[in-house]
Amino acid sequence: MIFGNNRVGRPVGFRDHLFGFFLAAAYIAILIATADNLGYARDEGFYFRASETYAKWFDILWDDPKEAIKKSVVDTYWKTNNEHPALVKSVFALTWTILYKKLGWFAEEGTSFRFGGMLFAGGALWLLYIWGARARSRTVGLVAALLFALMPRIFYHSHLDCFDVPIATMWLFAAYAYWRSIQQGGVVWALTAAVVFGLALNTKHNSWFLPFAVIAHLLVSRGPTLLRDIRERRFPLPLSPFAMATIGPLVFVGLWPWLWFDTFERFLGYVRFHTNHDYYNIVYFGQTYWKPPFPRSWAPMMTLATVPTITLVLFVIGFVSRAYARLGYLLVSRAPRPEPDRASTDLLWALGVAVAYAPWLSNSTPIFGGTKHWITAYPFMCLFAACGFELVAKQVRTALAAKLPSAVPSRAIDVAVGLCVLSAPLAQTVGSHPWGLSNYVPLVGGAPGAASLGLNRQFWGFTTGAVTDWLNEHVPKGGRVYLHDTAWDSWRMLQRDGRVASHFRGVFQPHKADASLYHHEEHMQHVEYQMWVTYGTTAPAHVGVYDGVPIIYVYARPDIAKPKEK
Amino acid sequence: MKPRTLVTALAFAVPVIGLLELGGYFHFANRAPSPEAWEQARPAVHEAYQPGDVVVVAPRWAEPIARWKLGGEVFPLREVARPDVTRYARAIEVSSMGARSPELEGWPVDKESHVGKLVVRTLRNPVPPTVTFDFTDHLGPSRAEVEFTKKGRTQPCRYNARAPIETRGYYSPPPFPAQRYQCDDGPEHFIGVTVIQDDRALPRRCIFAPPPGDGGETILRYRDVPLGKVIRGHLGIQWIMERDRLGSPTTLRVRVDGEDVGQAVHEDGEGWKPFELALGSHAGKEKATVELRVTAPERKERHLCFEADSR
Repeated sequence: MIFGNNRVGRPVGFRDHLFGFFLAAAYIAILIATADNLGYARDEGFYFRASETYAKWFDILWDDPKEAIKKSVVDTYWKTNNEHPALVKSVFALTWTILYKKLGWFAEEGTSFRFGGMLFAGGALWLLYIWGARARSRTVGLVAALLFALMPRIFYHSHLDCFDVPIATMWLFAAYAYWRSIQQGGVVWALTAAVVFGLALNTKHNSWFLPFAVIAHLLVSRGPTLLRDIRERRFPLPLSPFAMATIGPLVFVGLWPWLWFDTFERFLGYVRFHTNHDYYNIVYFGQTYWKPPFPRSWAPMMTLATVPTITLVLFVIGFVSRAYARLGYLLVSRAPRPEPDRASTDLLWALGVAVAYAPWLSNSTPIFGGTKHWITAYPFMCLFAACGFELVAKQVRTALAAKLPSAVPSRAIDVAVGLCVLSAPLAQTVGSHPWGLSNYVPLVGGAPGAASLGLNRQFWGFTTGAVTDWLNEHVPKGGRVYLHDTAWDSWRMLQRDGRVASHFRGVFQPHKADASLYHHEEHMQHVEYQMWVTYGTTAPAHVGVYDGVPIIYVYARPDIAKPKEK
Repeated sequence: MKPRTLVTALAFAVPVIGLLELGGYFHFANRAPSPEAWEQARPAVHEAYQPGDVVVVAPRWAEPIARWKLGGEVFPLREVARPDVTRYARAIEVSSMGARSPELEGWPVDKESHVGKLVVRTLRNPVPPTVTFDFTDHLGPSRAEVEFTKKGRTQPCRYNARAPIETRGYYSPPPFPAQRYQCDDGPEHFIGVTVIQDDRALPRRCIFAPPPGDGGETILRYRDVPLGKVIRGHLGIQWIMERDRLGSPTTLRVRVDGEDVGQAVHEDGEGWKPFELALGSHAGKEKATVELRVTAPERKERHLCFEADSR
């Protein structure tokens, strides 16, 4: 059988979970170890502030629960950042409170907040391993987890106290629970799917698209037998969608105190914020877009430009092979008939990809945010890619079986193929740090090629982390620093962590600053020109450079700008 | 080829693609010159550079590293934020990764040297113009006076050589320079040499001269101007201010010795717009009075910035 097998639903045991846990723990350990030179992104600053506020409410809840649930108290603490749900910021609040304030396990406050996000990243690997192993094989599970971990932009986002990796994880978890509920039946997984869907709703608004995937999955997989089931008086649909539709929203509201009062109005406010979201600027092939119509090629092109090419090649192989395994018999008479798959696994994975990309079929969907807005597709792409890997490894193994000495175990061939396909994602991921969002794959010429093509070099002002040493060395005590795109709370966290001197004062206009940061984005280029006039020179005092590409520039008063004598 | 053979061949191609991507990664990660490589090119560029030259970097996105490592001396603001390269007799092109500057297309290369990953070229303008007067360079009390009309009254704008520089960050007018004429018509009504971002995100050094309200005129009057055959230049508005294309057209009218010689109109979306006005009977005058008058039906965000010379 050339195009793989159709078996699904292998037993997965404790050892698999132990292995999944090991994968998660190892990834989290790497994330913690590499967090200290990664500057804080704009949105992280907003969530630091929100999480600290929520932490105060959790303190009240702990001391006096009756007081905590009063409207006035809830409103005081949960009004902050009420345009995003509560779950992930609550996790940040708890990891900061417990692991930094109470236990002192983290040296840096910022990392203790970020740890909450890292847990979700680790969880994604664990889930990918388990789902891949259960649906196809342990090899598929392992390779899926590794391909996901070794996407440079996933590695970047996995560090952050933001919602993007958490929603990718929760989307995956909800889909997995739904899949188990269908595959296995019964109440437990249906309830699990419902609760996890509620948690996903409470993670980020990408979760609004999950019902589309579930409904499409039910229609395609159950549609043909629907009438027959009804005629035979069998309930035609599984329990989980109903549980998700009813219990999910309850979990969502129940775990977001802001919605406990004036629920409808506040929920509408949340929805309106995202359906009427501002359009931010983003440059794409040398043109800055800030309002519709946006280019429809944005999502696929940015995927091509930022996801390791070998991962995409494996995805295509995996997707085509699975499609052939499922549907090939309709086209080719000698193709094998697929074994029954009660849960229509391949369809669910395909919908996981399609639904995440679907919004960008509209040319009015905002295109800011780099690639993170379809981040929920990536775990499913990695599952398909791992299927592709398994197929490729099998073909190579079969071809070499007769030519290699029998002493060479077939596993060695798998490992060799694995090294060949994972080495490029690994090298790119290592090389991308701490420049995450500036990374581009060799297909577009890497970071220099992307600069020549006019692709976005960064956003969120996070690269301040790359020039903290220069600032600490050159800016005098009490010196004023223009922060440009770095949010105030992100800057403050750098100071709280001791990464920039606490006596520096952040200012919001270059002419008030002794040194000014410029995070290069084309639409903000005029801010750099303001610095030329302010400091009387076009020469930066320092430039943060990634693979030969200028990313962040520092301008300064002449006495500060001159090189220090060693 | 049998299907199974084809599938096997494709299967072997996948690890090869993986290794090619790995090689590609290391190639592209090391392709562009490092800051140290730019530093090494510093002597060669300084040796080639003569005051009045323009140093051009290819690809353009590498210019900030060049300015950092080669120094501001070879990148004066006047040249970095140039209106175009036509006025220069010579250019120094510092190029990497095989890139060439489209601005210098057609310029013959006089000299070329290789310094590591960088190539330093001296190029000659095949048709260098004779610029008789640059209005941007000569904005100041020794050659120019500025006034504005509003509600039928003419008021002078006072020159201040040490005004406080003011910048406003993102989505703002261009920086308020230290040397400027301040008009009594709001803080943003000043006339001075500043830098705007044009529609291609390029810096343009120009005279900021917004119109007053009520359909009045901002008037820049230059004395003793030696004229060539034309007055040519560019006019634009900070891109972030013009990109929504909601503003009214802004007009720059040129008068020589009391006679209108023409006008240039800038409409939102036109970017850094060139203009050229023939001087007719005024051509070649050794001393003329030139008035540059700016007006717009509405003043909101009409931050006209222009540069002009006579050649």
